[in-house]
Amino acid sequence: MNCNDINQALIEGSIASRLWPEVEEHLRNCARCRELVGALSAAVPEASPSPATLRQIERGIVADLRPVRPIAPKLSIFGAFIGIFISVAALGVYRLGAFALGVMSPLQTCVILGALAISTGLLAYSLVNQMVPGSRHRIPPGRLPFGIAISLAIAIAVLFQFQHEQNFWAKSWACIRAGTSIGALAAVPLWFVLRRGAVLSPAMTGAATGLLAGLVGTTALEIHCPNLDARHILVAHLGVAMLGAITGFLFGLAVENKIMSRRP
Amino acid sequence: MEAGLRENAAAKRAFVDLDRWMERYQQADPEAPAALVAALSPALLRFFRSQVASREQADDLLQDTWLRIHRVRHTYRPGEPVLPWIYAIARCVRVDGYRRSRRITMHETAMEVLPERPAQREPRNTLPAFETLVAALPEGQREVITMLKAGGLSLEEVARATSSTVGAVKQKAHRAYEQLRKLLHTDARDGTAGGAQ
Repeated sequence: MNCNDINQALIEGSIASRLWPEVEEHLRNCARCRELVGALSAAVPEASPSPATLRQIERGIVADLRPVRPIAPKLSIFGAFIGIFISVAALGVYRLGAFALGVMSPLQTCVILGALAISTGLLAYSLVNQMVPGSRHRIPPGRLPFGIAISLAIAIAVLFQFQHEQNFWAKSWACIRAGTSIGALAAVPLWFVLRRGAVLSPAMTGAATGLLAGLVGTTALEIHCPNLDARHILVAHLGVAMLGAITGFLFGLAVENKIMSRRP
Repeated sequence: MEAGLRENAAAKRAFVDLDRWMERYQQADPEAPAALVAALSPALLRFFRSQVASREQADDLLQDTWLRIHRVRHTYRPGEPVLPWIYAIARCVRVDGYRRSRRITMHETAMEVLPERPAQREPRNTLPAFETLVAALPEGQREVITMLKAGGLSLEEVARATSSTVGAVKQKAHRAYEQLRKLLHTDARDGTAGGAQ
């Protein structure tokens, strides 16, 4: 047994149940571990709030006590997010037309739409967890939007060729405009679902929601736009999702500042 | 040593039936708020005391936390663990409180940076108090150790409360223990050197 094993035992709490012979032997020989375990074994001092504070808290709660319905199950909220995504993307494709499906190869179609579907699923799942404090996060919610953006950019760069096209910005602008309108349309119902929960970090959740809304626009554009230039797809299609994430983040930041200035 | 560790681990047993009380709280049972406030406030206060400097600030944060808990009580799902839900809210209140106090300080005293809470030196040859011990750690590590040790949360619960993964929590705790080991050893060496002079 070494110092790392002692750390492990402390972390997992196995030292709390009983001191194993090998632990005791290591502690006899290692002064550093003995000091650490000794310091941590000192009981944590009691910190009791004053009765007046407790009474004040209780009075405040009881004065406004009324029954509440617990938030919907995870699966229902997840379904709502996915439903919104599919409905708005389908509406966008219906309005714009599905011209890209005719020019993309089956591999390109499967990979890019598959990547968008996985990204959407991960973001929706993360948002479901962000709505309920203390939920289990398999992927840290702060890193997920970055991971998704980078993965999609790599997928696009690998799947499509970089070409030199004329009127790049004019064509890109048309796609960005169409994509952001679809994204904005998706953001409204997403926000309605989100406000049922308790968002503890508005900036982080705003970025994820904005990215999800932006991905609706990106998906509609991927199905609609027959331009297969990688640069165009990165800037004008994936750019819509990035714009959504940035807008969501800034919106969340503004909400955070508002909350901060409202409290005494 | 063993008894002390057992005592700390036993803190968790005080939280029995919290989920049942939470359900009753959601159903507006007037007894539920008192039971929950009484059961959870000492642990929450310990959590805040290890993170902020003064008792007054900790009391304010405790009140803010209960206000926030009351506002979002519908987001607790019956059957889910209560402690991560409570601590996630408390952690958010603490971060908001820190930002608010930093903003006020920056407004009041331009160019002055809020100092990190200094580790108070205990008299030599005695074990430092828990708050003093963890005060020397970086914020993230301090938070994890406080939840594990003073809050009685499991690794999984700390991961949930901090929107993190169990692996990340383990890593933070491991680094924290390494740092504490170094600090304690340095203190002990200084103490011995001081005593010899």
